[in-house]
Amino acid sequence: MAKYILKRLIHGLFSVIVVVGIVMILVYSLMNREQVFAMDPLFNKVSANRKITYKHERWEEYGYLDYVNYTEWLTAQVAAGELEEAVRSKVVNLGKDAESDSEAVAEYVKKFTDYYESQGYTVTRLNTVLAGKKRANGGEPQLFAAKDKPVLSRLVSYFGHFFQVDSVGSVKDYPGERGLTFTLYDPLYGGQKFSPAIIGSGTYHKYLLYCDNVFPYIHQNLLSINMGTSYSIERGAEITSTMGKRQGSYVLSEVTYPTGLTEMSADDLHTATYQAGSRESSVLYSSRFTDDYTNVSLFRSGMSRMGYSFMIGIISVALSYLIGIPMAIWMAQKKDKAVDKIGSVYVVFITAMPSLAYIFLVKAIGDRIGLPTTFNIEKYTFAMCVLPIISLALRPIGSQMRWLRRYMVDQQNADYVKFARSGGLSEREIFTEHIFKNAAIPIIHGIPGAVLFSLTGALITERVYVVPGVGGLLINAINAYDNAVIVGVTLFYAILSVISVILGDVLMSMVDPRITFSTKAR
Amino acid sequence: MENTIDLSKYDLSDEELFTVIKHDETESEKITAPRYSYWRSVFRVFFRKKINWIVLGILLVLLAFTYIYPMCVSFDRFANVRDETSKHLTPSAAMQKYGYTIHHILGTGASGEATFDAMWFGSRISLSLAIVCALINMFLGVLIGAFWGFSKKLDLVMTEVRNIIANVPYELLIAVLVLVLNRGFWTMVFALTVTGWLGVAYFIRTQVIIIRDREYNLASRCLGTPIGRIATKNILPFMTSVIVTYAALEIPSYIGFEVFLSYIGMGLSDLTLGRMISESQSAMLVPGWGFEFWSPVAVSAILSIVLFVVGQNLGDASDPRTHM
Repeated sequence: MAKYILKRLIHGLFSVIVVVGIVMILVYSLMNREQVFAMDPLFNKVSANRKITYKHERWEEYGYLDYVNYTEWLTAQVAAGELEEAVRSKVVNLGKDAESDSEAVAEYVKKFTDYYESQGYTVTRLNTVLAGKKRANGGEPQLFAAKDKPVLSRLVSYFGHFFQVDSVGSVKDYPGERGLTFTLYDPLYGGQKFSPAIIGSGTYHKYLLYCDNVFPYIHQNLLSINMGTSYSIERGAEITSTMGKRQGSYVLSEVTYPTGLTEMSADDLHTATYQAGSRESSVLYSSRFTDDYTNVSLFRSGMSRMGYSFMIGIISVALSYLIGIPMAIWMAQKKDKAVDKIGSVYVVFITAMPSLAYIFLVKAIGDRIGLPTTFNIEKYTFAMCVLPIISLALRPIGSQMRWLRRYMVDQQNADYVKFARSGGLSEREIFTEHIFKNAAIPIIHGIPGAVLFSLTGALITERVYVVPGVGGLLINAINAYDNAVIVGVTLFYAILSVISVILGDVLMSMVDPRITFSTKAR
Repeated sequence: MENTIDLSKYDLSDEELFTVIKHDETESEKITAPRYSYWRSVFRVFFRKKINWIVLGILLVLLAFTYIYPMCVSFDRFANVRDETSKHLTPSAAMQKYGYTIHHILGTGASGEATFDAMWFGSRISLSLAIVCALINMFLGVLIGAFWGFSKKLDLVMTEVRNIIANVPYELLIAVLVLVLNRGFWTMVFALTVTGWLGVAYFIRTQVIIIRDREYNLASRCLGTPIGRIATKNILPFMTSVIVTYAALEIPSYIGFEVFLSYIGMGLSDLTLGRMISESQSAMLVPGWGFEFWSPVAVSAILSIVLFVVGQNLGDASDPRTHM
């Protein structure tokens, strides 16, 4: 069994990687890459040559290509010790075109060009752009090399950076002594209260492991998943944080900073990450912190996008099974009677009608009886979730009723049912003990999928009721040409779907001992 | 033995009691079973149910309005766009303004267009899209699904292909195709069918696998029937009802899908039911503007339900086991 699951997981992993590859081809190669600037406010402020280099810088940042600027290259040469600073400052200023370069500059330009052309880069020289007699804004001469990233290397680097382990060497030039301290008494709680924590120096996060009073109570920053960085949805934020970060207004509480300063603040000091030179540049930071772990996230009142989606989703999944299954049993027991007919009418309506139509119907009815129809994080009450939950549950209820009834009706003529009846079992016993157990097996297969996919949210429902959930993320990302988010969200969906199929099979074989996945011949 | 008649009391000879009938070659060739025509039986069973007459009647009316009505009237969505007094009229206000015509029985919409006309023009495109997509998907799906179910080698490859393609978000595919090509009808058809057949093919593959190894097919193969003939003569007829039932779900699902895509802003550039719904959703809660929102919703819902019911019942009727 374990071997079989491992095999399935490897197959699943393979298909996940291929899916990400296909999506990368779709978004990076087929979509017009100029589109990424549609949402960029800075793009319209730069002009002339600067605009071209800006484009390349952004494209590099978001994974389209590798880009090296002449100036950067010289600085890197100095850092590597192959070039003297005096020489660098002499050759860094390009002439207004290739002919007017000084001899020294021309030599280094040739070196740069030769080196990068041999690596397969395209080297571009931009001459000075003049506006009248003066140089135009952003019209400085430029020299750079650029190379499109091939899909395969992009895929490898994406998965290579997927898991990020925070270690004592994470911060490149950490000034102090690197190391880990394990303490049973977290200094944030005054060093009195029992609360184990691992504190690092030289690591990216200050707290690698800590406890607090928020579910799941023990938190770690040791291993994080990096699915890419958003470009336009939430600029510069990691996709995992876009989905999992809490929303809403700040929750202030009394915070004692490492310097001993006590203030009303929403800072969550456990989330501190390293920010080089931050205390020098800000009086605020230097008054609060004793080291450069100053970048903290804030306590907020609402749940994360995924939190809202999952809460609504999981309740509606539970509701769909709690209502759908008894209804299906009832319908199967009273086959061709009134209950069955009414139920069938419901099933036909709910499966055939466009989901948008009945969601709006629910919204209109809900509005009439006075339930809130729009979501508001600031004034959150559970009543706001009622209509989204109902809207989401209606179709799964119909599908439970349809399929379970079908399976149960099919089982009713099976030989074992006739035998049970001849053995004198009551109809109720036959239904609950025998028919249901057999008919429920295909239903059970779908449970892990239903639960896991409530993490992805529901697009239409969330849009209609303005739920700040995760359901619209993919569509928003596509509309905003946010490639990294598209890839990240697709990866997330693909992983969920692989896991839910495997879990479904495992659960099915646990419930029904006749189903085995071992390769041994029976 | 009370029923037996005692022949001896009539006092007749054997010749008078019995006649010899000669063996007739031509008579023995005649088949005496009642005539059976598959499709005639399908329709006999289908029309036996009263509800089917009603539903089919509604469907014909809807089809007439969807395909014939737009041919008879001219409709320009933005003809009245400059006339502020023509916008968002309730049916009664529209009737007062324009007189008692069929065009204005549902009032007017945001650009002063007659909601009733807009609804049918939209429904023509939505329904056409659904039907074309369903036809292409069913054709490709059944054909490929049949091969997929038969060949075990192909099954291994295709199952992996399905696992991969099913996980590529179709929204993304549509968005990319729309960007690369254009926002037209046939682009949308292409975008929806380029992966859509996979679902049908997978369903057919499972059905084929179930029927493939039944005894009668085993016997057929033993007798040397070629695979192609087994597929077309032994298996496809068996699956007619399953295919019809599936097709019945396919058309309404594409109507719903079109509505969904327009709602998220990825639909066609033409006026469709989905576009009408998404453009007028803000009118839903404004008193007096309800018609322009609810009429496309109602048409899409009724059209889907009617098509679904007709298809389901046709599927039931095309199962030979109901022909007794």
